[in-house]
Amino acid sequence: MIIFLRELVRNRKGFIAWTVSLVLFNAMMVAFFPSIADNAKMYDEMLKGFPKGMIAAFGLDKISMSNILGFFGTECYIFITLFGSIYAMLLGASILSKEEGEKTIEFLMAKPVTRNVIVTAKVANAFFYILLFNVMFSFTNFLMFEAMKTEDYSIKAFLMLSIGPLLIHLTFAAIGFLISVFVVKAKSVYPISIGFVLVMYFLSIMSSISEKLTNLKYFTPFKYVEASSLIIDERIEPIYLVIMLGVMTVSIAATYVLYNRKNITV
Amino acid sequence: MNAIEIRNLTKSYGKSRGVVDVNLDVNEGEIFGFIGPNGAGKSTTIRTLLAFIYPTSGSTRIFGMDCTKDSAKIKMNIGYLPSEVNYYDDMKVLELLIYSAKFYKKDCTKRINELSDIFELELNRKIDALSYGNKKKVAVIQALLHEPKLLILDEPTGGLDPLMQNKFFEVLGQENKKGTTIFLSSHILSEVQKICDKVAIIKEGKILKVEQIEKLRANKFKKFMIEFRNVDDRDKIAMPGIVNIEKKNSHIEFLYGGKINDILNNLAGMNVENMLIEEPSLEEIFIHYYEKDYEKGEK
Repeated sequence: MIIFLRELVRNRKGFIAWTVSLVLFNAMMVAFFPSIADNAKMYDEMLKGFPKGMIAAFGLDKISMSNILGFFGTECYIFITLFGSIYAMLLGASILSKEEGEKTIEFLMAKPVTRNVIVTAKVANAFFYILLFNVMFSFTNFLMFEAMKTEDYSIKAFLMLSIGPLLIHLTFAAIGFLISVFVVKAKSVYPISIGFVLVMYFLSIMSSISEKLTNLKYFTPFKYVEASSLIIDERIEPIYLVIMLGVMTVSIAATYVLYNRKNITV
Repeated sequence: MNAIEIRNLTKSYGKSRGVVDVNLDVNEGEIFGFIGPNGAGKSTTIRTLLAFIYPTSGSTRIFGMDCTKDSAKIKMNIGYLPSEVNYYDDMKVLELLIYSAKFYKKDCTKRINELSDIFELELNRKIDALSYGNKKKVAVIQALLHEPKLLILDEPTGGLDPLMQNKFFEVLGQENKKGTTIFLSSHILSEVQKICDKVAIIKEGKILKVEQIEKLRANKFKKFMIEFRNVDDRDKIAMPGIVNIEKKNSHIEFLYGGKINDILNNLAGMNVENMLIEEPSLEEIFIHYYEKDYEKGEK
């Protein structure tokens, strides 16, 4: 609990910066909806003239911009999924490695705590901030929806669009923990984390565009919680849920095991 | 019971050597110096004691408990001063000390105030903004504040000015009187011989010798560097107690272990152009003095 509370203080600035900027940016985007909704038919028509690949990449072949869910799914969802994932991955990958990168681990490990206690406090803290980040985001998102909607929307689909991002954030964070057992220098941790998320995002676009690459969808979390399918099906595919929970469990378990075995020299 | 017990400890990092077959016993209540040049394996040994790294083979015990398995329990009674001090850049001195104290479930405020007075350290400054020496003071206080039964100090004097070093040794002396065992490493023997009861010399990962400090004192060498006017004088200087002679033109260097007065009498009749007498480096004393033991150990 001592370490958890300390991490709460230490990571609050990053949390505030990411939450405020994403929440505000998203709210601003959603505020555009009423003006778009008036001309939604026109937009839908216009989009038909766009290249098919591009339309598929944004899921516009399946959902309409005339409903606020469809608008959010095509125009705003990327902020919470992509940028939220970058935040989650950076947090996950740095929370443990920072102690080694900044050589403060010598201080911490000289205290009467086991390595398991250290890992648990760090993992719990990252998950806590990611959860809080998602709750704040979805709550303001809900308020914006209620203020800007032109017609009713499915609350269940809205919940899916809120839970989906949370799940991929947790997945990315868990992968981040595991990576941080091996990579501890901040100058490597940051590019690796951001690069990993971007590559995953790129894979999800590829699998949407090309028929041949459609099986890539199993390798990228972004595909698991795609806005169009969450809005239409109002659920997350069980197979994807299983994959995400599996990746999280394995990553975290491996983090505990490897961190305990690791020789820590700074 | 031994405070520290190291048995056949070997630690290798891939190809490079850490320490080889180290055996050490530190009795409770002792002040034990662990001396060796940089890279000899001092920090490796200490990090194994603290379970930052794990032995390749052999075992380490503190207060009878296994350093790997019971690490957290052991650390309740350990104060550790790292050789390089690194703290959280967002913390003030007092915040760090309070954070440290929380782990021991003790109220250490009184002790923090006492120690910060002794070492003249301001508590409300950002650690990041402190000089190296002041950071070291933070680390010293941090190691002492929970009144541990065993202090493990890795190169404790580096960065402290002579005045602070004296205060530091004074505090260590007081702690030791209260029963605290102290294990400290250094690459400078003269710096720690004032307070140590016993020293172990480590070189290239191996323990050369464990010796009572009293015994070492008796074998005190001085390093002489003399420049003669005549090259002939150089060869006349041979006398008992001179070892490790190196000659170059009219210049001569050697270690002398006899009475200073004797060599001065000897030199009096010669034409000395220049002379320097200094403390020999650790290398010089021990490698010379224990060369034979070391070679035996090799075989």
